[in-house]
Amino acid sequence: MSDKSEADTIKDIHWLMDILQNIDVGLVVLDRNYEVQLWNAFMEGHSGVSPQLAKGKNLFSLFPDLDEAWFKQKAEPVFQLKTRTFTIWEQRPYLFHFRNSRPITGRSKFMYQNTSIIPLESVTRQADHLCVIIYDVTDTAVGKLDISRANQTLSEIQVRDSLTGLMNKSAWLTVLESYYASQKQGCLLLLDMDHFRDLNHALSHQQCDEILRRIGAGLKTLGDEQHAARFGGEIFSVILAEKEAEEAMQIAEKLRRSVFSLGKNSQHTISASIGVAERLADTPSASEWLSNADKALYHAKESGRNRTSLFKR
Amino acid sequence: MSAAAIINEDQRDCYQELTNVAMGQAADRLARLLNAYVVLPIPKISVIENSDLNMALQGATSDSSVSAVCQGFIGAGISGEAMLMFNDASFASLASLMKYSGPLTQAAELELLMDTASVLIGACIHGIGDQLEIVFNQGHPVVLGQHCGMADLVAYGNNGWDKALAIEIHYTIEHVNIECELLLLFTEESVRALNKKIDYLLD
Repeated sequence: MSDKSEADTIKDIHWLMDILQNIDVGLVVLDRNYEVQLWNAFMEGHSGVSPQLAKGKNLFSLFPDLDEAWFKQKAEPVFQLKTRTFTIWEQRPYLFHFRNSRPITGRSKFMYQNTSIIPLESVTRQADHLCVIIYDVTDTAVGKLDISRANQTLSEIQVRDSLTGLMNKSAWLTVLESYYASQKQGCLLLLDMDHFRDLNHALSHQQCDEILRRIGAGLKTLGDEQHAARFGGEIFSVILAEKEAEEAMQIAEKLRRSVFSLGKNSQHTISASIGVAERLADTPSASEWLSNADKALYHAKESGRNRTSLFKR
Repeated sequence: MSAAAIINEDQRDCYQELTNVAMGQAADRLARLLNAYVVLPIPKISVIENSDLNMALQGATSDSSVSAVCQGFIGAGISGEAMLMFNDASFASLASLMKYSGPLTQAAELELLMDTASVLIGACIHGIGDQLEIVFNQGHPVVLGQHCGMADLVAYGNNGWDKALAIEIHYTIEHVNIECELLLLFTEESVRALNKKIDYLLD
């Protein structure tokens, strides 16, 4: 009778061992000195280290690139407090560096892993071993990363002009409102290409796009603190933060000259008119400030184009 | 009937007592982890409706910017989820208590959040489980958000439950600016099973 039940028990243990070997998660049992006591087929498969080789070896000498201090910070409370600890891929993508094992459907270079570290009690109720369970969460992680990248691209599309990479009009107007609200001094600059429609007829669309791209690139060199935007079509707008009229006019003149130089090897004249408006003590609103810059731009156009005007009452 | 009908007064007292013991054990482990004195709070037991979850969370902390992790647990047909929230002002003190060196980046804060969550959540639900002779298995923690508004933590939507038993524990650490809120939520079916265990204890 007892023989039979012993045989049954052995059979059960055989089954359990089979399951542990074949289950599709990694199982590692470590003793108090971080020496490997159990290493299942999942671990062997992905690491190429056989259970015979792993057994009795220190984990950190088997895998030198495993961050010992970090891992111990997670493992020590398991021994000391007999509590479970967990690591997730958002903290560190993996505990063991396992290369992608799926040539067709694997989309990551390595396996993202979540791990559970659980205490294993001895007969004396001491946690003198722990078990690290390693889950492959690559598909979840890649999916989440895809979504967050897609969201980022979407919000970029909402605020950026795709041709020049500058802010678009609506994003710039928001920046202008908050700049105005911050009470800071500065100048607004509006740049409009001269006779761009004629240029569009004379040159190809690609060439015209290239001109706009070059102007955008030029505005970017002003730096991030000077908020530049493609206001629309061939009009650009810039907040020259904390610049006084004189300095703003120098910047504007430099811009006008560099636009003009774009056409120096061409048979077509390329030029722009620029209006500058300083924020005055009595500028009542951001929109009024912008309309002052627009008036200055109109003045520059009226007085012959390819020139820079400063708003004066 | 009111929302509170899923547990009676005696059962509520019993849950209160169970939680007192469990969170005491959890506080002891936290104290050992941080080597600091943990102020023992009084847990709040309530029954909430699904639609009240966000409001319950809003009430949990006064801070506008929080970080939180959630962890499910299951055992003997009883399941629930634990949520640990830190106000973002706590991380600097937490880092110095846990002897984290280096800059306090978002990644470093996540480490602190995860380490504290492992200890607190694990101790608390095992403390409850031990008293009721239930072995709870914990799932993997899920980061709900870092530096976000309370309203952004939990997405709206009917996730298949109406009423739940909520246990709220507000931990503070003496002399330093650390505040965190641990919320345990058991769904209605789990509460029925839990009530049976509780009634057995009460008899």
